[in-house]
Order: sequence, then C-alpha cells, then structure tokens
Amino acid sequence: MVKRAKLEIIKDILKIIQENRNSIKLTPLLRKSKLSSAGFKEYYTELIQRNLVKEIGSGRERKVSLTERGMKFLEKYRTIIDFIDEFEL
Amino acid sequence: MAMPFQQMFDIGSGTELIYSFVIMLCSLMVFFGTKQIYELSSHKGIKYFRLAFLFFAIAYFARYFIKFFLMAFGIGSLRELSYLFFDPTGKLTTFVFMYLSSISVFYLLYSVMWKKWGNNKKIYLVHIAAILISLISIMSSDGYYLLFVNLFLFIIVSLTFYFARKNSKKKKHTFYAVYMLLVFFWILNILDILIPSFFQGFQIIVYLFSISIFLTILYRVIKKAGD
Repeated sequence: MVKRAKLEIIKDILKIIQENRNSIKLTPLLRKSKLSSAGFKEYYTELIQRNLVKEIGSGRERKVSLTERGMKFLEKYRTIIDFIDEFEL
Repeated sequence: MAMPFQQMFDIGSGTELIYSFVIMLCSLMVFFGTKQIYELSSHKGIKYFRLAFLFFAIAYFARYFIKFFLMAFGIGSLRELSYLFFDPTGKLTTFVFMYLSSISVFYLLYSVMWKKWGNNKKIYLVHIAAILISLISIMSSDGYYLLFVNLFLFIIVSLTFYFARKNSKKKKHTFYAVYMLLVFFWILNILDILIPSFFQGFQIIVYLFSISIFLTILYRVIKKAGD
C-alpha cells in the first residue's frame, strides 16, 4: 500500500494548507505535516512540480498556497481512492 | 467458399461492425473517463489501467480490420489474407495483431501487479513479454499450436491474478474475476481471428459475453470516476 500512503500524505499536506486559509509558511507546514525534513522536502518538491501548490512571496515572507489543481485534488481525493480500491490498482 | 458480398454486409459484417464499435467505444470511454483522476493523482495503477483499455481499443480495431478483410474476400485464414497486406507469409500481420493483443492484457495485469513487482522501469519487461508471445505465435501457423500459445498466455495471466487475489489483504475482491473473464473472452476473440473455423456458430455467444464484460467495467468506471 505504498502508493495509498503517498496519496494520503499528499492529501494531508494539502488539507493543512486549505485549513490555514490557503496560505501557510513552510516551517509550520513542515511541523503540522508530521514528516521528517527530508521526507517533507521530497513531497514538497513533488507538489510544486505537479502544480498542486504554489509559492507566494519570497524570503522570510514566503508562503505556500493551493493551486486550482490542488483544490481539485482535495475535492476528488475520495473518488480517486475509491477507484483504486474498486479496480484493485 | 466465399460469401456473396451482399449477404456479407447483411449478416456478418453488420454484427462485426456493431460488436467492434461497442467494445472500442467502451474501451475509449474508460480511457478518457479516467483522465482527470489520473492527471490529479499520477497514480501508476490508474495509468496502466488506462493504457490497457487504450490498447484494447486499438487491438479490437485491428481485429475488426482483419475480420472485415477475411469476410469481404471470403478468405479462410490470416495467412491467405496477408497477401493483401504485402506480407506473403502472414507472419508480420500475425505478429502485429498478437503484439497489440498481448500488450493490452499485460498492461491490465501490470496495473494490478505494479506495487508487488516494484520499480516502474520494469515496464519494458511487459513489452518484451508481448514481443515474445508474438514471436512464439509466428513460429507456426498450425491451429493447435496457436491454441496452445493462447492457452498458455491465459494460464499465466490467470495464475498471476489468482495469486494477487490470494495475497491481497482486502476482504472483498470484486474485480479479479471480471479481469479473468475479460482476458478469457479476449483470448477467444484472438482465436477467432487466428483459427477462423474455431467458433463456427458460437461467435455470437462469445460476442455477447465480451460486450457484457466491457459494459460492466464501463459502468463501474463511470460510477466510480464519475467523468
């Protein structure tokens, strides 16, 4: 169930951003995600690459927010998981 | 003996056309209906599942194309037909058809097994396996030989699905049986092309079962993916 865990972690990170009025600094996001620094970095890079989150501002004021795609992911998360389960993928 | 052209369009060709069209439509609807959830999740299982149905659509198109020429020219075997495709021995036509057929089955298998088989770079093994099956298929045009090759393919695929089901932690398994039926009836479809006399009189039953399986999968996809 490696991939399921991965999708779940992605969902959790996106959810944290959403629950913080769609804007959160990297340090609290790392803390709330309950991942190691290395693990968080890996997921964060993937989220940026997949255009699920975007960075706003720079330097100390740098914040992370969801893109439209990220919001769509959260909206469709249950559908994706149900689909994977149903078709044994 | 060749079937009169008029009669061919009245009976066989019409049925073939509807049959192939329904299956190709179902396969393409599965492929495009899962586009959004794949793009959002980048899930490899969904990717291979979609590719399997894309290849099923292509394979059924190839099957219809070959079947149409077999019927139109009243030809009894793929080997005779191959003169039309500038492929006198029939080996290239058989090879391409078998490759398209086996790659769709292997992609379906890989969509279920990718987690257990690990690294996605192993996907090239799926193509190698399909090429091997195609090469083995062209070694002889004897009906029993082709029957044996396809039976072997079915046994391998069934055993893999069976062990995947057995080792799964999930209690309820709805789709392994559907996948096995899908592969079984697809192999019957392959045999129908490679050994045209194999199903004389029973084709309609095979067609009805095949359509039912594809419609079941499409129904579940629409229900779950909702696109």
